[in-house]
Amino acid sequence: MLSNTPDRRTAIRSLAAGGLLLPGILSELLGGNASAAELENPLAPKPPHFKPKAKRVIFLFMTGGVSHIDSFDPKPYLTQNHGKAVGKNFYKGADWKFQRYGKSGIEVSDLFPETGKVIDDICVIRSMKNINGDHFGATIGIHTGSATFNRPSMGSWVSYGLGTENQNLPSFVVIAPELPYAGGQVYGSDFLPVLHQGTRIIPGPEPISNMKRRAATAELQQTELQLTEYFNRQHLAERETDSNLAARIKSFETAFGMQKEAPEAFDISKESDATLKLYGLERGSTKGFGWQCLVARRLAERGVRFVELIDGGTSIDHNWDAHAYMPVYNKLAPAVDTPIAGLLKDLKSRGMLDDTIVVWTTEFGRTPTVPDPSAEGRGHHATAYSSWVAGGGFAGGRAYGVSDDIGGIVVQDEVSVHDLQATILNQLGLDHLKLTYRHAGRDYRLTDVHGKVVKGILA
Amino acid sequence: MIAMRFVLFLAVSLSAIAAEPAGTPDAKAEFFEAKIRPLFVSRCLSCHGDAASGGLRLDARDAVLKGGKSGPAIVPGKPADSLLLQAVAHTHPRLKMPPNGQLDPQEVLQLDQWIKDGAVWPESPREFFLSKVKPVFDANCMACHDGSAQAGLKLDSRESLLKGGKSGPAIIPGDPQKSLLMQAVRQDHDTLKMPPAGHLSEDAIASLGKWVKDGAIWPEGPAKAPEYVLRPDQKAFWSFQPIRKSTPPQADRADWNRNPIDQFIYAKLKEKGLSPGKKADRATLLRRATFDLTGLPPTREEIAAFEADRSPDAFEKRIDKMLASQQYGERWGRHWLDLVRYADTAGDAADFPVPEMYKYRNYVINAFTKDKPYDQFLREQIAGDLLPWKSDDQHWEQTVATGYITVSRRVGVSPTGDRHVTLEDTIGNFGQTMLGLSVGCARCHDHKFDPIPTADYYALYGIFDSTTYPASGEEHNPYRRDMVYRVGKEKAAEILKPFDEAFAPWKKLERQKFNEYQEFQDKKILTPGRSREVVWKELTEVRENLRPIAESYPALETAWAVSEGKPHDVKIQIYGEPKNTGALVRRGFPLILGGMKLPESGTGSGRLELAQWLTDPKNPLPARVIANRIWHYHFGKGIVTSTSDFGVRGAAPTHPELLDYLAARFVEDGWSFKKMHKLILLSETYQLASADIPANSATDPQNSYLWRQNRQRLDAEEISDSIRLLSGTLDLSMGERHPFPNERTYFYRQHEPFGANYQNPRRSVYAMQQRITKNPYLDLFDGSDGNLPVGERRSTTTSLQALYLMNSEFMDQQSKLISAKAIAAAPDAPGRVRWAYETIFGRAPKANELQQSQEFLRKFGKETDTPWKSYIHAMLSSNPFLFVD
Repeated sequence: MLSNTPDRRTAIRSLAAGGLLLPGILSELLGGNASAAELENPLAPKPPHFKPKAKRVIFLFMTGGVSHIDSFDPKPYLTQNHGKAVGKNFYKGADWKFQRYGKSGIEVSDLFPETGKVIDDICVIRSMKNINGDHFGATIGIHTGSATFNRPSMGSWVSYGLGTENQNLPSFVVIAPELPYAGGQVYGSDFLPVLHQGTRIIPGPEPISNMKRRAATAELQQTELQLTEYFNRQHLAERETDSNLAARIKSFETAFGMQKEAPEAFDISKESDATLKLYGLERGSTKGFGWQCLVARRLAERGVRFVELIDGGTSIDHNWDAHAYMPVYNKLAPAVDTPIAGLLKDLKSRGMLDDTIVVWTTEFGRTPTVPDPSAEGRGHHATAYSSWVAGGGFAGGRAYGVSDDIGGIVVQDEVSVHDLQATILNQLGLDHLKLTYRHAGRDYRLTDVHGKVVKGILA
Repeated sequence: MIAMRFVLFLAVSLSAIAAEPAGTPDAKAEFFEAKIRPLFVSRCLSCHGDAASGGLRLDARDAVLKGGKSGPAIVPGKPADSLLLQAVAHTHPRLKMPPNGQLDPQEVLQLDQWIKDGAVWPESPREFFLSKVKPVFDANCMACHDGSAQAGLKLDSRESLLKGGKSGPAIIPGDPQKSLLMQAVRQDHDTLKMPPAGHLSEDAIASLGKWVKDGAIWPEGPAKAPEYVLRPDQKAFWSFQPIRKSTPPQADRADWNRNPIDQFIYAKLKEKGLSPGKKADRATLLRRATFDLTGLPPTREEIAAFEADRSPDAFEKRIDKMLASQQYGERWGRHWLDLVRYADTAGDAADFPVPEMYKYRNYVINAFTKDKPYDQFLREQIAGDLLPWKSDDQHWEQTVATGYITVSRRVGVSPTGDRHVTLEDTIGNFGQTMLGLSVGCARCHDHKFDPIPTADYYALYGIFDSTTYPASGEEHNPYRRDMVYRVGKEKAAEILKPFDEAFAPWKKLERQKFNEYQEFQDKKILTPGRSREVVWKELTEVRENLRPIAESYPALETAWAVSEGKPHDVKIQIYGEPKNTGALVRRGFPLILGGMKLPESGTGSGRLELAQWLTDPKNPLPARVIANRIWHYHFGKGIVTSTSDFGVRGAAPTHPELLDYLAARFVEDGWSFKKMHKLILLSETYQLASADIPANSATDPQNSYLWRQNRQRLDAEEISDSIRLLSGTLDLSMGERHPFPNERTYFYRQHEPFGANYQNPRRSVYAMQQRITKNPYLDLFDGSDGNLPVGERRSTTTSLQALYLMNSEFMDQQSKLISAKAIAAAPDAPGRVRWAYETIFGRAPKANELQQSQEFLRKFGKETDTPWKSYIHAMLSSNPFLFVD
């Protein structure tokens, strides 16, 4: 059984939140010093540490490790020396050509032409470095700051730090048709309260489980809820000060609201043809990254704090882990390129890009050298890879950081996963050193004992 | 023979001396010292010193010649071919050094000159020691003369050598002839001939000789752990004090003067100006106690009988009955399984199954059911395999108990390679669960708040590192190793030999096929008919074909238990980095708890000693920590609210005298849980109503001083188990092995992780617990977690929980089943409502509730043909069911 301590203030707040008290007597009961946020639940919006540039995050995660030297980090030296022996290995040049895009003239490979067209809104980071070279460690590394044990995910930390703006939707939503390496560890809240955990959405008829009314009719469900409410009120009458009882009564009201609002958030039928086209989406389809991106925008519009979109699963035939055959990217890249560019354009046209951070990343890049000149794939490479950030006060049209001539190591402006995490938090108005949680005798933070805000990628 | 060797040695050492630069250093050496060494030190060594970035060290000539990952750094005489020069001159396509700004052109020219002149690098005494002497010690001597100090001699510092062993000082600096060390390695001493099973190379002997002759310089010898001194305030901290059993204070009310718990609680209430509330009514009390002890609700018949039984020991009889039940073991075993983050999979990137893990789970449940003394319970989990036993059954049970150690998390793609991470999990859990101390914090540095030096962490580390954990199999080595067999290792090997022999070629074939599959990653394979898909299919076929052979093995009984490994002490890992080691630490127990060290005569891992130190009555923590946990589970809140942290940053006890009294009683009563339960449940304090008293809550809103009971929400397992019990779908038998596939057919990878989750109709404690995959239901209601040790379950309230209660298939089906029981229970609506109230809420309905209920039923009747299902569904979703007063 679980404890519940009645604290008078909390009790009053919950009663207020549950609509059981008139707002007029609140300030009197609370002595006038309670903030509005305190009156609500733990997911109520909380003020950040300092004035933020952004309010929310859309985090695009490409599972398997996207080759940096074939996408956002051109290496002519490697191409010129393709096939040349180096030690036991051989240089392997990019399989795709690079073009300059936009006013900034940043080079992007032919894998991502649509992303190229919006490059002036993007800051490409060519000096990423992860803390582990395996999928498991690197995937949780970028998400949680730890390559080994379970730790809360970035989305959980953001939810814990800022709460969320729409109480009818979860604060942290993960749209993942398939799970990435390390599975649920990627969006787990671990020692943070579980309401900060990512709610996984699987595209389909019931994206969030139990969101669909099971009672035969709306009237029947309402009567059932009225009866539950009756039992609860009878029960509460003798236990007036117990905040947990009141909170649970309130949770049914919220759930009822969610049941109404959430399906609407996932219902894209009212989106215009032009919008669907922007995302490369066919009307009626819930398949593909286009659906994920469009729903992400709809959730962002409705105040969800952190939306993560996961592309690919653990099977190397459905992800970016091209050990054996790089040309598999010819299928993977177009499937995400148009939707991602569409998302950026759509956010921009709606005036949302300014306060929405869009992050495109992966767990690591791929090796510039291969064990045989005939090899068509590449291995894991965590010591230098590429990611990008857009919106939310990040610098558009900038390429940041330098890897060496083959993309082997970072030679300038290294950005570790902890640095990227610290910088994302910074744009949300959170100091990564101050966002802590006491657990097992220690104050933990997302960036562990590392991390610095990367000023060079800010506008 | 001896004489000949001696002559040979002299010749070699003379020639070595002759090759040395004679007299004053020559110009080239001077140039190196003046220009090149400072350059290396100031611009290169921060990465190419101990950190050996890119595998390259630039702190000794040999190291420079050997080079790093890209090859030798210099070719003496040929600057143009030297990578080092190409890198600093930025003529190399990729390597451009230093990364933080190019060298001065003058400096590049000097390097060029130095290489051209043959890269002369006069060896400093430090370099000579590190390159020629220390490696000889490490490779030939340290197996015996490390921590274990054979014949009293340690070779870990100059001081140790000067002190020597049984035969006297090992070296006389400046005199290789008379130094015992030299006589022993030259083997010209009468009795000392080292190493015992061989002979050092002449080069090695010559190096040692030169080193002793030059004064045996030992630069910054292996760092000794700085002496950690406990401050008086640390020693005086409350939780480290001996347990003091004080006399319970007299209460001025007879009903509060019968049970020592009440006496302590009452005294504190009076002190704080509070007064205890009323007693709970009998129905409430029985419902509370039944959930508390069994995790299930009482039946309406049990409530009625208890209400009617007015004998003075009516409640005690009920307690005894529940304590004797298996359901008690399941409920309280679950608490322990929470603490040890029990799971049925290993937790590595592929989440390999551990089919035997359930034996440890059942061991824990049985230990509670049988009221195994807690000290014995702890000892068995640390060293059950080594403890004395009277029967084979007992030995096996104790061996299974060490599943506590093996349930530690395996992490990543190569968990056996990342053993230090698994050990971190073991030590962290040992500290938190058994001692209430965050020992794990001392992995990288001395604990910042508590008196736990890093050396304590590695003293424990050595014990567990000397212990063999079974391997569950992992991506690159899918077969299990070091399983513990009931018949013993040798006997098992003998029985399994023919099967292993039959299986070996298949294993080989499987790996061959797998490697062939992996080859597609390395090169383009043009052989007609060979594609990745084809090879994968063949691989799958091989795996299918080996299955019958795997299944033909005899079913020898195995446990996921530990066995003794090679006993050794370990060195401190600086900043927790296994490759960066400091001083050697003797295996032992934390300093603040006595700092006992493994005796020199100890021949095992040290687990046996650890088990004794842990449960020595002089160690105050285990009894205090568990007494507090028991209190926590009964009241929803501990006397120390941070139940796994009794350190400086944990909470202070609200009732320190009571806590010590309970701890002392617990030990006196034979470390018995059941006696402690009775003591608590029979107290007035436990039996208080949970109702608020405004006069009290005004000053003590948190009820810290217990003037009432705490109302608690049912936990995830209680909700599920109770509902299934009511519907008649709960199987109350004990859980067994989950239906995992044969353990010799595991080929999981991070790309194809093990993901099955087997369902069974038993109590939730028997549900399969995975590590990589989340269990949505348990997560939703703050249930058990296979990764996180949980001392205090959370009690969140979320709208997703409400949605589950409203819309889940489980609630729908169960409501239907329970409604059928309600209908069968009575012929009319009032009778059925009464049955439902008594069964689900644990009390009879009042007249107005009866009336309201019937109105709702009439309303449902108009909307659905299953009004009773709707009625029950609403009840199961409501607070009177979900909370216990």
